Formats: sequence, C-alpha cells, structure tokens
Amino acid sequence: MALLELQNITAGYDKNIILKDFSLQVERGEFVSLLGSSGCGKTTTLRLIAGFSEPMEGKMLFDGRDYTHVPLHKRNFGFVFQSYALFPHMTVFDNVAFGLKMRKVDRQTIEKEVMHILEVVDLRGFENRLPREMSGGQRQRVALARALVIKPDLLLFDEPLSNLDAKLRVKMRVEIRRLQQELGFTAIYVTHDQEECFAISDKVAIMNGGVIEQMGTPSDIYNNPQTEFIARFVGFENFFELTRTGEGRFKTEAGQEVAVTRDRVGERFKGCIRPEDVLIAPAGENVPGGIPGEVMVSTFLGRHNQLNVRTPIGEFVVSTDEHHAFGIGSAVTLSMMSNKVNLID
Amino acid sequence: MRKKSRIWLLLVLPGVFFVVFFMLIPLFSLCFGSFYGEAGFTLSNYFKLFGDRYFQQVFVRSLRLSLLSTAVCAVLGFPTAYYISKYSRHKGMMMAFAVFPMFTSPVIRSFSWMVILGKKGIVNSFLVSIGLFAKPQSLLYNEFSMTVGFVQLFLPQMILSLIGVMDNIPDDLTLAAGNLGATKLRSFFHVIFPLSISGLVTGSVLVFTGCMTAYTTPQLLGGTDTRVLSTMIYQYAMSLRDWTQASVVAVVMIVVTMAVSSAFNSLSRRINPMA
Repeated sequence: MALLELQNITAGYDKNIILKDFSLQVERGEFVSLLGSSGCGKTTTLRLIAGFSEPMEGKMLFDGRDYTHVPLHKRNFGFVFQSYALFPHMTVFDNVAFGLKMRKVDRQTIEKEVMHILEVVDLRGFENRLPREMSGGQRQRVALARALVIKPDLLLFDEPLSNLDAKLRVKMRVEIRRLQQELGFTAIYVTHDQEECFAISDKVAIMNGGVIEQMGTPSDIYNNPQTEFIARFVGFENFFELTRTGEGRFKTEAGQEVAVTRDRVGERFKGCIRPEDVLIAPAGENVPGGIPGEVMVSTFLGRHNQLNVRTPIGEFVVSTDEHHAFGIGSAVTLSMMSNKVNLID
Repeated sequence: MRKKSRIWLLLVLPGVFFVVFFMLIPLFSLCFGSFYGEAGFTLSNYFKLFGDRYFQQVFVRSLRLSLLSTAVCAVLGFPTAYYISKYSRHKGMMMAFAVFPMFTSPVIRSFSWMVILGKKGIVNSFLVSIGLFAKPQSLLYNEFSMTVGFVQLFLPQMILSLIGVMDNIPDDLTLAAGNLGATKLRSFFHVIFPLSISGLVTGSVLVFTGCMTAYTTPQLLGGTDTRVLSTMIYQYAMSLRDWTQASVVAVVMIVVTMAVSSAFNSLSRRINPMA
C-alpha cells in the first residue's frame, strides 16, 4: 500500500480552481518530484499535503489513515520552504530545536539531537549565529536540519534550491540526495528545474494545468514522454504524423519508414524526435528513408549549429557539428536515427 | 564626489536651520533657565520642586496615567492589529476605521466624551437603568475619564505601528511553526509576538510620549484635582507667572519621557535581539 495517497483532490482559492480531480501515490522511501512550470499546481499540492490548506473535495490518506482534516501541527511532516522561513529572531540552535521543543522533548535530548543533525548538515560551530549572519547555502542547510531533526514521516521540499547560485545548487542537490539515501526518508520535491529533478528523484510526476501528465522514473520520462507537452519539456522539437506498417515500424505522411523506441497499441500516432537524433546530408546523397528539405534558418549555438529545415512533413529542427556545410537555401536530405522516434498521444 | 556631497549639504540646510533655531535653541535656553537662580548656576529649583508634595503627586499621577494608557493601548491594539494584518479581507477599510479618530481634533473628542460620560450621558443612563447603581456616578474629571480619553486619542498610533511590523512577518514563518508542531497559540507566542516587539515598542513610545505631553485631553477631561505635568506647566507659566518653575517641570517631563522610551527599547532588545 502506498504511504501517501491523494484521491480525487479538488483545490483552489474561491473560484480559482487550481487542482481538479487530482490523484497521486507515493511509496515509502521514495523520492518523488513534482515538476512543472509556475501555476501548474505543484506548490498547491505540496502545501495541501503539509496541511497549510484543505482541499475542497477529495481525500488524503497517509499510512492508511484519513489525513484530510488533520491540522498541520499534528502531521509529522517536515517542510523546507523556498524562502527557508527561518525564525529571524532565533539562533541556529533554537531554530533547529524548535520542532523538538514543541514536542516537549527534554532538554538534554534536544541538545544531543540538534548537535547531531548540525553535524550531519555540516554546520557544527554555527549554532549561536542568527540566520541573517549566514549565507544562502548555510541558511538552506539550517532549514534542512530543522526539518530533519523531528524525524518526519514525510519530507516536503518547495523549490528549496531556487534562491541559490548555480554551483551551490548542484552541490546541495547531491547533498539532499545523499541524506535521503542515508536516512531513508520519503520525500516529495517540487521544482521547475528539469535537470535538478531528474538528478535527485526516484520518480518524477510532470504536472500541467493542475493534473499529472505523466509519472515515471527520470529515464522513462526522458526517453519516452507520452504527451507533446512533456516531449517538448524534455527536448523533443520535431513532431510529425505516423501510420503503422508493422511491429515497431511506422511510416511518415511522405512515405519514409521509421523504427520507434517503444511500440504502443494503435494505428496512428504522432511521432517526435530530438534535434540531435536527426542526421543531415547534402541533397543527392543516397540516404535510405531520407526526407528532402531546404535550410531556412541557421543559428550558431557554440558547440553546434541549429538548422531549421523545411520538409514535406513539416519544419524540422536539426543540430549539426558542421558549422559551414549547410548555408541558407541549400537542399539537404534528413534521416532519423534508428530507434530514436518516440510515440506520443 | 566631493562637489556632489556639498550640494547635498545645501539641501539639508533649510531643515537643519529650522530644527536648530526653532527647537534646539529654545530647548537649551529652557534647560539653561531651569538651572539658573539669583546666584547663577543652581540646583535649588529642582530640590524645591521635588520636595513639593503637590508636585510629587502630579508627577506620579502623570507617570501612572501614561503607563496605564500605554498598557491599555497595547492590550487593545495588539489583537486588533494582528487581525487587520493577517486575517482581514478588507484591510484598507479596516485601517481607515482604525485611523478614523485621528481626523477629529482632540478638543472635539474630549467634548464628546463629556457628553458620553456625563451625569446624564448614555453610560450613566445605562448603568442606572440596569440597576447597577441607584444614582448616576461621576465618571468625568477624574483619572478614569482621562485614561479613556488618552486611549482613544492614541490607540490608532499603536495599531498603525503594530500593523507596519506585522505586515512584514512572512506568513511562511507561522506555517513553518505549525509544520514543526506548534499550535496556533504557541506559534503566536514564539514567532508573531517576539517579531512584533519592535512595533509594540514604537507604538508604546508614541503613546507614552503622547500621554505625557498631551494638554487638551487632561485639561478638559481631568479636574482640578487631577493635574498632570503638562497642565501643571500651563498653571505655573500662565496663572502663576513662574517661568523658572515651568521650565523645571518641562525639563523633568522631557527627561522622564526619554528615559521611559529608552527603557522600552532595551526591554525589547532583550526579547528579540533583531529589533
């Protein structure tokens, strides 16, 4: 049975519905990310789980118990805020000790636990500082320690790294992943950063317009997106119609045969491929399954050139290492690398 | 850079001129006068004043009334400000209501209180009609009516200072406290209250200073038996023509006000090192 289960949740403010008939399951020990652009409902979902707001409809089960109306201070969930939300008038020690104090843990144990967790997040020696005397990365770790020290049944992260610079972000996400594997907590992590979420999670749920479009392992989502929205999100830029010709084989509207990564039940699909998986050659060369085209735009992107090519089955975006080989207006032949075409709905 | 800073100096000049000539110099001459006797510098004016039973009474009454009014304003203002800042849906309107009394002159307000608290006023009629008292009580021209007047006069300042500070407390902090296991009450005492202290202190200083120096309200709502420092100064200066004694009382008033204000400040720093 899933540790956390959201069943048919509807949530929002007044007439502004953000989640509609939303469901989610999280297994014990899993690190699940909610990925999506701003306004997709990911933070609303997280705040709902934390108990900051209640759903208008639907149920939330935790460990088999109905948690829908359990007040937030009675849920033993840690929450790491985007703003860190450290208490500015308390020292690092008091910030971290707060949750234990609320649980009426005795003084000696508090002292021991706080010092231990500060050791874990590498902040020993900082216990008497005030939050304003620390850097962003250090505050982030205080926030993490404060959430970890209560030994939460579930740890919730709301874009915890978005206020850090790029280098620190990478360092911290490795750190969070390490802690999660070491301590084995169950976590739900909200982010809009695709790389971050793929690097850190066991499972990714991609949200769009208040629903989960697809949930799966990072590699699953990266290689086999199921909708055009997700395909675009993970870097597919070329979309075209396909009709089945055999098992795992399809043909385009112009008749070229292609092999797909993963076959699905059905006759007609939309196919998609990444720019780097499309090969380009000068027109006239004999390429099996080649699509004739004309270069419209050439954009220099440093490591490679991006070409926009007009073909009978639509415009293709292609990337090539050969910077000067294809000028604007030149006739070319495109071919799709075998097993790189993905089927979407 | 140097040239620029001189231009800035020029801009500051009119303000500085005003403060120096119309406040600092009169203040110093007032202060100087209070130490001046027939034989030059002397403290005898102060000894004389503090030895006076009547002055002692007025002095203590002034302090007591101001502190009491400040406390009442804090107790009434804190929940009001908290509600307006964190829960009210019509914040602008609520703020306008809270500040509304500031738009009427203290004279008019004092007269209104005379009508309300008078022997035939609504409070007395009510108390008699429910049988609590057989005869109308004297609610006017005593410390009670003065406190009521002070509280109504200065409550908006307390509320405004508190709202200003509470608005700057992120909602995430109370959510974080709740998430860490604090009930609403505990998160109020551990988070909201200590973080509001600076507003409470600013408000208290404003209210206290206001009460100590207010003249119209104690003059109209207080009787001849309930003089305070400000009305006493008027009495010395205008009725008794004793300007030296008036300035001595004025200096005492300034010193006490400043001392109590800084006491408020240091108290707040002990509760919240940030403030």
